[in-house]
Amino acid sequence: MSREPVDELIERQRKEPEAVYKERAEIFEDAVNLKTPARTPVALFTCGHFFSKWFKPSVIYFDYGKIKDASLKLIESFPVDFSVMAPAAEGFIFSVAFADAPEIAPTIRFLTGPMHDIVKDKYTRWPGRELPEHLPFQFIGGEYVEPEEYRQLIEGPIDFVNSVVLPRACENLSKPGSALYVKSIARFAFEGSKFTSSLVDINAALAKNYGLPPFPATFAYAPLDFIGDFLRHPTGVMLDIRRHPDLVKQAAEALVEPIVKVGLALKPLGAKYAFIPLHLNEMLPPKLYNEFYWPALKEVILELYKSDIKSFVFFEGDHMPHVDTILELPKGWGIAYFERPKDFIKVYEKLRGHSCVMGGIPVSLLHSGTPKKIDEYVKKLLKATAPNEGLILAPGVAEITPETPDANLKALINAALKYIGENR
Amino acid sequence: MSVSEEFIKSILELDERKALEIARRRLEAGEDPLKILGDLTIAADKIGEKYEKGEFFIADLVMAGEIMKGISELVRPKLKELGKVREVVGKLVIGTVQGDIHDIGKNIAVTMAEAAGFEVIDLGVDVPPEKFVEAIKQYNPNIVGMSCLITVGLESMKKTVDAIKEAGLRDRVKIIIGGGRVDEYAKEYAGADAWTNSAAEGVRIMLKWIREKAR
Amino acid sequence: MKLIEELMERQRKEPEIVLKERLDRLSKTIELKEPDRVPLILTGCPPAFALKHAGVSGYDFYYDYERGWKAIVKFVEDYPMDSIFFEVGLEGHVLALAFPEVPEFMIATAGHITGPMHDILRDKYTKFPGRELPLTIPTGQFLGGRFMEAEEYGKLIENPAEFIRETILPRAFESLKDVHQSRIALIKTGIELSKAINSMTSIASDLTKLGYPVAPLTDAYCPVDFIADFLRHVTNMLIDIYRIPDKVKAACEVLVELILNMAFQVKNAVHVFIPLHLNEMLPPKTYNELYWPYLKKVILSLKEKGLTIWVFFEGNHEPHLETLLELPKSWGIAWFEKTDVRKAKRVLEGHTCIMGGFPTNLLVSGTPEKIEEYVKNLIKDVAPGGGFIISTGVADIPWGTSEANLRALINAVLKYGQH
Repeated sequence: MSREPVDELIERQRKEPEAVYKERAEIFEDAVNLKTPARTPVALFTCGHFFSKWFKPSVIYFDYGKIKDASLKLIESFPVDFSVMAPAAEGFIFSVAFADAPEIAPTIRFLTGPMHDIVKDKYTRWPGRELPEHLPFQFIGGEYVEPEEYRQLIEGPIDFVNSVVLPRACENLSKPGSALYVKSIARFAFEGSKFTSSLVDINAALAKNYGLPPFPATFAYAPLDFIGDFLRHPTGVMLDIRRHPDLVKQAAEALVEPIVKVGLALKPLGAKYAFIPLHLNEMLPPKLYNEFYWPALKEVILELYKSDIKSFVFFEGDHMPHVDTILELPKGWGIAYFERPKDFIKVYEKLRGHSCVMGGIPVSLLHSGTPKKIDEYVKKLLKATAPNEGLILAPGVAEITPETPDANLKALINAALKYIGENR
Repeated sequence: MSVSEEFIKSILELDERKALEIARRRLEAGEDPLKILGDLTIAADKIGEKYEKGEFFIADLVMAGEIMKGISELVRPKLKELGKVREVVGKLVIGTVQGDIHDIGKNIAVTMAEAAGFEVIDLGVDVPPEKFVEAIKQYNPNIVGMSCLITVGLESMKKTVDAIKEAGLRDRVKIIIGGGRVDEYAKEYAGADAWTNSAAEGVRIMLKWIREKAR
Repeated sequence: MKLIEELMERQRKEPEIVLKERLDRLSKTIELKEPDRVPLILTGCPPAFALKHAGVSGYDFYYDYERGWKAIVKFVEDYPMDSIFFEVGLEGHVLALAFPEVPEFMIATAGHITGPMHDILRDKYTKFPGRELPLTIPTGQFLGGRFMEAEEYGKLIENPAEFIRETILPRAFESLKDVHQSRIALIKTGIELSKAINSMTSIASDLTKLGYPVAPLTDAYCPVDFIADFLRHVTNMLIDIYRIPDKVKAACEVLVELILNMAFQVKNAVHVFIPLHLNEMLPPKTYNELYWPYLKKVILSLKEKGLTIWVFFEGNHEPHLETLLELPKSWGIAWFEKTDVRKAKRVLEGHTCIMGGFPTNLLVSGTPEKIEEYVKNLIKDVAPGGGFIISTGVADIPWGTSEANLRALINAVLKYGQH
């Protein structure tokens, strides 16, 4: 095979990481600022499943050193421009539990394998624990709160999370104040801190060795998702919306403040973007989305924006029906990462000049397509979105499969490097 | 508007109280419970239609499923009392594929399919290919449904279809895959007959298959 | 002064070789053999002089781990010796005893409370520079206190971990008084411990680059000292010993197990440090009846696990020296403060490795010539036959130490210490 642009980039990022770093930082900045970057950035996110290409899941999720090895290997082999690798489960509820202590909240935002072992939460299942060794961890959530308890949540969300939800959802936190509780909570924080500092270390190594700029992220959540993921289970919330609409609304409203607090906690350390992964969005009809979901989420985004934190929202599933609501946000509010909207190009056109749009590459195309198909697909996509201002290419979902052929991933990066001039 | 139409309308409007109220009234009036259940099949089909048109969302399906489940529960004792059984429109073997333990989507599909009149054999979560094959042999279903949420499922779906082929059972069943991560590419890769992101649409596709076969 | 400079250069240029030499020297000494040269160890609780030398305050040392602890690196870089040992905070072992399932505490700080942990937990045992003490004071101070009444021995004996956890901790730690406060305090402590481990890892790598052997350390305690330090306060303890000896004994009995659990929390520990406090205050009869039997139990169990045991005998241990012979030969290192090491050598020769012998104050008041003379004589008297480590008699190098004196001490050991 002849030498392709992606091979050149692989070599260049190793040989001149500083120059590549600068280049990547620039194209990313340009995309976020709705300009046409020198080339279209390619992003790749993983919660660690992709790492099972190299390491057994029961190992990788429990060994931060191996996570570093895998992260470096990933960027070494697949020179994407923007990446967040957090091989850990959703643990936002722990941050909210300590929303009043900004120095704590960000440290325990993710739930790693060892942290799961410590608190024994029922939200997640892990390889080598509840799951066979070869599987990735899985977030199951669950129903831990009764509809009758919404009032208590509304009155004091942080206290409610600490005294009602976590004791029910985590076996080792079942009795606040008990020896087991104390031991678990201290070790949990220790482990969380260990994990976050390992991420800092990994980011530094990625920047130094391969010129990958770190993503200055903090975290927030859509209030209704918080209820769905950690308190009532998504199905529960969907029924509550019909059966107890006022309580759901008030509960979502009550959660805005603690969520914003968590979002701002990392600001003093240089965070610029709040990552907000959405879950219930696509499941709600516009009427319910607009009434129950969007207002509280919008408030979170705007509050953070006021404090110079842009949002980086992952719109799970098909967000097409709700895309117009995004236009209610101020221009340049952040990055809209779409998983699989029915028509990515249409979504892009709608938001062009208003939001930075990310996504566009179906995971299953990467998994089961051929380099040629991918090349054509990207070419077509870039042509249709020319001059590609405010665009970041990414697999449509936060999780590419470990079985994805190397050649396919490379073809994606290659196409983004290749098809620049002719489209613009 | 006939009682039947009003009944279906109340389900489609997700008016839980009204739908249950009408069902109760119809039973009290001595109407054939099978007729009421037949209306659920129609409702399920219409819900699928609404979903395809983009009028219905998952949240609507969850609520609709909940209402239809409530109605079925209301009707069941009466059915038993009369010694009647609901005519099965088709048989569905369903499960979340190997490696994936998520079941929200699959459970909605089960509720919707049952409401629509399918006999559903739910294999649960993390179902290995051989278990699907065994179930096909044992229950002789018309349709096999495979669900997954995480991308682990892609490989497992392919493996399951391959296993079904190997067992020489591929021609006996239609295969539909569903879940948040599936699309046309996934369908092609797995070798399934249809794909859907929603239980309602799935039920509609399945009902279409059954009708086509009957012809 | 040539020798010290040579060593400084060697540890920078060929750290691997120097490290091997140091390890070998120490292990031979502990095994009561004659190594190539008498080893020298000059660190303990953060040596005040080291902080001065690096230009950091006591506050920096306790509160800014990375910067503060680097002072030790700088110290041993410029004043080469054979091993390093320093405490990163003040005694907080009561926490490790109350929560035997949180090994991170022992792993991170060997049971010590650092500055930020003191702020978080608000304990009444310790005072720190920049908090209760002036910023510039080089060492924090452990005062202990009385957090248990004599009537409560029964409860302590019945379920020591629970009693400490539920009764003592809320009394001794402001932040552990109620569930809500303690939740925040404990989670902050967890984060702090993780920071401490990170800094420790970074310091350890610096030290290895200078040829210093670094190995995981754990701490143990003598049960009577534990009661005195953390529960009853020293004075009350001395009274308890006379008034209610049986209760004290019964308490010590149950504490042995907890203390061992605490020490074993550091799974890969190589060294274990036991600082004694009450030893010199007790008459032999009391020492033999109440203090020594339990300390001996602790030491024997640690020995069984293959740990290298360092016992710091505070004050003058001469009256109790013979009891050490009850321990198996080469059981560990007896680090003496004011005990006359010549006497100790006579009693313990061929049995116990002795550490100490150099009076700290001579570093302040002496002259290089005097120091050289002192070291020469000390080595002549104590080193033959091996099993001797020169160290300052107390675990600290004072602020007022003159550089020339310190260099003279090191140089003299290098010069006269060859076997």
